[in-house]
Amino acid sequence: MGYLTDSLRALGTTLRNMRRPATTIPFPQQIREREERFRTSFALLHDENGEELCVACLACERICPSEVIKMKVAPKRESPFSGKRRGYLEDFTLDLTACIYCELCVQVCPTDAIVMTRVPEVPGFDREDLVLTMDKLYANEHAKPLTWATASKLNEMQEPPKVAKVEPAKTEPAKTEPAKSAPAKTEPAAAEPAKPAAVAEAVAQEAP
Amino acid sequence: MATAANSPTESRYRLDQVDADADLMVLNFGPQHPSTHGVFRIKLILDGEIVIRAIPYAGYLHRGVEKLLEKLTYAQGVPIVDKNDYVSPMSNEQALVMAFEKLLKVEVPRRARYLRLIFSELQRIASHLLWLGTFALDMGGALGGGSTVFMYCFRDREGILDLFEAVTGGRFHYNTHTIGGNRHDIPLGWDKRVLAYLDMLEPRIAECESMTTNNSIFVARTQGIGLIDKDLAQGLGLSGPLLRASGVDHDLRRDAPYHAYDEVPVRVMVEQAGDCQARALVRVREMRESIRLVREALAGLPEGGINSGKIIKMPQQFKAQSGQVYAAIETPRGELGTFVIAGGGDKGTAPYRLKIRAPSLHALSALPWILPGHTISDVVVVLGSLDPIMGEVDR
Repeated sequence: MGYLTDSLRALGTTLRNMRRPATTIPFPQQIREREERFRTSFALLHDENGEELCVACLACERICPSEVIKMKVAPKRESPFSGKRRGYLEDFTLDLTACIYCELCVQVCPTDAIVMTRVPEVPGFDREDLVLTMDKLYANEHAKPLTWATASKLNEMQEPPKVAKVEPAKTEPAKTEPAKSAPAKTEPAAAEPAKPAAVAEAVAQEAP
Repeated sequence: MATAANSPTESRYRLDQVDADADLMVLNFGPQHPSTHGVFRIKLILDGEIVIRAIPYAGYLHRGVEKLLEKLTYAQGVPIVDKNDYVSPMSNEQALVMAFEKLLKVEVPRRARYLRLIFSELQRIASHLLWLGTFALDMGGALGGGSTVFMYCFRDREGILDLFEAVTGGRFHYNTHTIGGNRHDIPLGWDKRVLAYLDMLEPRIAECESMTTNNSIFVARTQGIGLIDKDLAQGLGLSGPLLRASGVDHDLRRDAPYHAYDEVPVRVMVEQAGDCQARALVRVREMRESIRLVREALAGLPEGGINSGKIIKMPQQFKAQSGQVYAAIETPRGELGTFVIAGGGDKGTAPYRLKIRAPSLHALSALPWILPGHTISDVVVVLGSLDPIMGEVDR
């Protein structure tokens, strides 16, 4: 008795949902718009002179939790544009079969050289297709749209606000709080290490 | 233990009570059964269709996460635990990061604590939606629910994954928490998207309710099934919705507030019955409560920095003194704790030993007590109501 009415009511819900717009899309013909921060594959970047940004500092290779980045470092030489001695890559591979897309390599890069892309790699037929070589990574710079995140943007976002910095990523323009919390915490931390040094100096002066 | 039964076989249906001529049969339920929600095996000893004894076997999804976390440094560990409870990765990250923060004595800024609360509650909604969908699927397509509710719940859950994608860039493996705060601040206009989504979701939960918890077929299949009484629940160390459905008023969000739960108080949902229906009711009500919490937290979201620790630059940058800490949070499944023993000195950059207390493992330990006496079709319902996630059980 109750089963029938409840089943009919459930059927009514189904009918109501039939009038709602579909949530699925025909995938290969139509591709979902991805968010600005969406991250899948990787790319290595050049600077405005067309020189490689990567200075082969090994920071990303060290931070990678699944150890998928392998780097060969070329001997240091002078840059033809800036004239400074800097490191260069000889070879760079990133194994996507074991990558967990944690974005830590992007965050630690001192020169914003490695970034992630918003379009994934095309599925391959061999395991080698899933290993990003240096050529593929440099090709991705222009072949694929890049994500928002670079090392400097991520670090800027995480740094405590200095005074009244205007940040676009804030929700409310009214700034009432920042003066209270963050600077108050950093000050004692900066002051404390100075104390033992001062004491040590005083002791050293008294001793002779 | 304060229960009437001292062992699973002594519960309500004992082996020696079975007729000696009974033709007992052993049935391996799983490990590849779709209703086990992962790779999990229960050895069922059956008398006809009635379960006499149930012996669970876990460990098919063991990946050595705890050992891996001993190898990795404090800075590298967070993205690994995303894969433990793969239905609520945000909660996993938070549990680990909170233990590390306690160990390294790092404060979390107020804004980051609010963001963590919002992520945690959105993740709770997503996790419970997935549970409701798969639970209706476990019931079969007999009611208007079945695969229909499954599809509706997954559709609504996508909205939360989209919201997380907008903040972190990942749909599932976020790596958005770090020691001392968060890695990503919310983008411009994100809070409006969240509020619009919650306004859309609220009537849809009522819709799902009308097809499940208010549906008489659903009630007939869940009422009085898989009873866990108060003593058994406490004796087995159950937590989360399972414990609250058995009439124990316990919620870490209220009893040991972390994040910003002391500023945004939680109303704890408790049911007395302790059966599958009570567990379903608790979870559906928790979704509503989570919607309220997210709205309240977004309204009171403070300005300021999101990270007070060191920004991750190299793996060995966090050094801990030797010691041990335990930090726990209330995930959608219950108390997820992380126990860390830190080796000091030159071994101070990585945990010496790390143990994860997973709520799903304790939930599964109730099976030998509650399954005997039920039919095979009820085994699926009982297992679904416990909401176990095998990635978390086996780790």
